Amino acid sequence: MSDGTTLSKDDAPELRDQAARDAADKAATYEWGFVSDLEQEFAPKGLNEDIVRFISAKKNEPAWMLEWRLKAFRMWQGMTAPDWAKLNVPPIDYQDAYYYAAPKQKPSLSSLDELDPEIRRTYEKLGIPIEEQKVLAGVEGARKVAVDAVFDSVSVATTFREELKKAGVIFLSISEAIREYPELVRKWLGKVVPIHDNYFATLNSAVFSDGTFVYVPEGVRCPMELSTYFRINAANTGQFERTLIVCDKGAYVSYLEGCTAPQRDENQLHAAVVELVALDDAEIKYSTVQNWYPGDAEGRGGIYNFVTKRALCQGRNSKVSWTQVETGSAVTWKYPSCVLAGENSVGEFYSVAVTNNHQQADTGTKMIHLGKGSRSTIVSKGISAGKSNNTYRGLVRVGPTAEGVRNFTQCDSLLLGDQCGAHTVPYIEVRNPSAQIEHEATTSKISDDQLFYAMSRGLDQEAAVALIVNGFAREVLQQLPMEFAVEAQKLLGISLEGSVG
Amino acid sequence: MNGVLDLPSTHDEAWRWSDLSGLPALAGARPGGRAPTGELWIGCGGPRLLFIDGAYRPEESDPGPVTVGPAEAGAGDHPLGRLAGHQGWRLQLARDRGPAATIEIVHVATGGPAHVAAEIVMDEDAQASLVETFAGEGWHNVARKITLGRAARLGIARRVLGGGFASLTDTASLAAGASLDIATLAAGSGDSRLDTRLTLEGGGAYGEAGGALLARGAQRHDANAVLRHAAAGGTSRQLWRSVADDRATCAVAARVEVARDAQKTDAEQSLKGLLLARTATINAKPELEIFADDVKCAHGATVGELDRNALFYLASRGVPPVEAKALLTRAFVADALARIGDEAVRAAFLADAEAWLGA
Repeated sequence: MSDGTTLSKDDAPELRDQAARDAADKAATYEWGFVSDLEQEFAPKGLNEDIVRFISAKKNEPAWMLEWRLKAFRMWQGMTAPDWAKLNVPPIDYQDAYYYAAPKQKPSLSSLDELDPEIRRTYEKLGIPIEEQKVLAGVEGARKVAVDAVFDSVSVATTFREELKKAGVIFLSISEAIREYPELVRKWLGKVVPIHDNYFATLNSAVFSDGTFVYVPEGVRCPMELSTYFRINAANTGQFERTLIVCDKGAYVSYLEGCTAPQRDENQLHAAVVELVALDDAEIKYSTVQNWYPGDAEGRGGIYNFVTKRALCQGRNSKVSWTQVETGSAVTWKYPSCVLAGENSVGEFYSVAVTNNHQQADTGTKMIHLGKGSRSTIVSKGISAGKSNNTYRGLVRVGPTAEGVRNFTQCDSLLLGDQCGAHTVPYIEVRNPSAQIEHEATTSKISDDQLFYAMSRGLDQEAAVALIVNGFAREVLQQLPMEFAVEAQKLLGISLEGSVG
Repeated sequence: MNGVLDLPSTHDEAWRWSDLSGLPALAGARPGGRAPTGELWIGCGGPRLLFIDGAYRPEESDPGPVTVGPAEAGAGDHPLGRLAGHQGWRLQLARDRGPAATIEIVHVATGGPAHVAAEIVMDEDAQASLVETFAGEGWHNVARKITLGRAARLGIARRVLGGGFASLTDTASLAAGASLDIATLAAGSGDSRLDTRLTLEGGGAYGEAGGALLARGAQRHDANAVLRHAAAGGTSRQLWRSVADDRATCAVAARVEVARDAQKTDAEQSLKGLLLARTATINAKPELEIFADDVKCAHGATVGELDRNALFYLASRGVPPVEAKALLTRAFVADALARIGDEAVRAAFLADAEAWLGA
C-alpha cells in the first residue's frame, strides 16, 4: 500500500517495491513490543499443587484462599479446553510456562518513588499516567484517573489511593484486598464466575497472581475513572489476573483496562477472570482497550487471550455496560456477559474487534435475562483484514419468569480484502412471550466509491481507510471514556496498516 | 452417543436443541399395518406414490417417471439420515424434461419406524415440482440426495401432519443457474428434526429453504439448514416462521456459508418466532460464515408476541381481539408458505396451517 506519496505507473519498480516493503515493515511493527530489562523473580516452571501453594504463600494468603485455589486446581486437572469456538489453537503445554513472575522488589510500596525506575520507564514508554503529578499537571478541572498497574503477575503501583479512600472507595490490588478486606473478597470472589465455570476460569482460579479489587460503597459516585494497565514482560510467563468490582446500592464506577506485551516469537497465555457485581441502582461502566501483542505478519508469536468476563446485575435498576476495543492478541476467546437478575436491570455490550494478518478472534457476549423488565443492547462491529478470522458469538436468553424483556442486537462485519473471514453466530433462546428480541446483522466491505471520495478530498489511502473504519465503529467508540477514545481510534488505524491496497 | 441407536446428545453443537429421547421406543415399536390415506392426497393430477411404514404400495400409486427401488440417499454420517437405508425411490429427469404436473408422495406410518431413501437427479434445464405428506403415527425417517444440473429447477413442498417423530434429511448440490426451493410445514402433533444442506456449486444458482413450524403441548420442532455458496453470484433465501404454544419448543438454526470464491453472493435470512404461552420456548441461531468480501449477507431474527400496534389497529377497525389475533397469526405463518408455486398445494398447506391454528 502506498505511504501517502503518490506513485505513478512510471516509477521505477524498485521504488514501488521499496514503498511496499516499508509499509509491510510498518505493519509488522508493534509499537509496544519492547522488553524491559528487569530483575525478575520466577516460580519454577510448570504447574502442580506445589506451584499453587507457592503462589499462595508468596502472597501471604489466608488458608481459605489456598483451599479455594487447590480446589480449583484439582478440578482443572479433570477438565478439557473448550473447542466450540471458530479458532485454530495449537495444543498448549501448560507445563512449559512460568505461573509466577514478579519484579524483584517488595510488591507493596510505601510510595511511588520506591518503584523500580526500569518499570517506571516501561510505563512511561507505554504512555500511562502512572504518576499523579502528570495527571494533575493537566488543565485545571481535568479528569483524574486512578491507575493500578499489573506487571507480569504482580500489581506494582496503585495511585490516588488516599483520595479514593476519602470517598470510601476501595481500590487495591486483589492480593492486598485478600489480606485487608478478607470478608468482602470472600463474599463475592467466585460468585459471578464460579471456579468450575470453564477450563480457563478454573485455571485462573488456581493460579491467579494478582489483579484489581474495587468496592464502591452505597450511594458513592466514584470521583474519578479507575484504570488498570496490564503488561506481560517476562518470557514464557502466563498472566492470570483476577478483577473483582463490587458496586453497592446506588453507586457508580467507570473502570478502564488496557493491556500490552513485548514482541516475542513464542505464544504466551493470558487467562483472566473479571467479575462485576452491581446491587440496586448501581452502575458499572467497564471499558477495555486490548492491545496484547498480536504476533507478526506471518502469524508467529502473540498472546492467547482466553478471558472470562461476567457481570451480575443483581439489584433492581442496576446497569452494567461493557465496551471493548479488541485489536491485539493472536487468538481472542472472550465473551463479556451480563446476568440480568435484577428487576429492570440493564446490560450493554459495545464491541469493536479488529483482526489482521493471522489473528483469530471469537468474541461476543451473553445476555441472560432473568429479571422482569430487564433490557439489553448489543452492538458489535467486527473488522477483518489480512488472513484473519473474526467471529461474533452471542447469546440472548430470556427466562420464563422474565416479563417484558427487550433486547436489540446489531452486529456488523467489515471485510478488508478477500483472504479473511467474518462470521456471525448468534443464539437466541426465548421462554417468555412478552419478550421483544430483535437481531440484525450486515456484512460489507469498503466500497471503491467511498475510498475514491475520501481520497479525492486529499486523504491518502491509509487515512481514508482509517476514516471509514472509524466511522463504521463510531457507535462503539463514542461509548468509551474520552481518555480511551482517542487511543482507540489511533489503534484502529495502526492495526489495519498495510491491509488495503 | 445414546446406546443401540447411536444418537447424538445435546452436547453436540448441531443437536443442542434436539430431543431424540423418544426415538429408541419408536424404532423398536411394531407397526400396526394399514391406515386410511384417502384425505391425504391433494390431487395434483400428476404421478403419485404411497409409502406405508416405508414400504411402497404399487396398487395405490402411479409412479410416472419415478422408479421405486435402490436409491443413494447421500446422508453420509448424518446420525439419523444414515439410518434411512438404501431403499426408496429415485427420480431422474433428462435434459429439458419434466413431468407435467406436481409429483405427489404420501408417507404413512402406523406406529413404528418408516425409513425411506430417496434420490433426485435432474439434468440441464429439467424441471419438476414435488409435494410430500407425512402422516400417521411413528417415526418417519427420510434421507434424500438432490443433484441439479445446469439451470434445472426443482420445488419441494412438504408437510408433516402426523404424530411421533419425523426426521427429514436433505443434501443437495446445485450446478450453475439451478434453482431449488424447499418449503416445509410442520403442523402435526409429533416432533420433528429437519436437516437441509444446500450447496450452490455453480455460479448464479438459487437456493431457498424455509418453512413454518407450529408446535403445542410438549412438541419440539428443530430445523437445521445450511446454505453453502461455493461459487460466485449465487442467491439464497431462508425464511422461517415458528409458533410455539403451551410447553412446546421450536428451534431454527440456519447458516449461510460463503466460500472464498463466492463473490457477489446475495444471501438473506429471516427467522421469526411467535410465542403464544409463557411456558413455550423459541430458539433461533441465524449464523453467517463469510470468507469473501464482496457479498451481501443480511439476517434478521425476532422473537416475541404479536405486534401490539397491529392488534391496536385491528381493534380500532372494529375487529374483535380473538379474531384479530387469529388473523395476525395466520398472516405470520402464511409468509413462510407464500413461496410454494403450485396453487392447489399452497391452498392445501394454508388450510392445514389454519386447521392447526384453529384447533
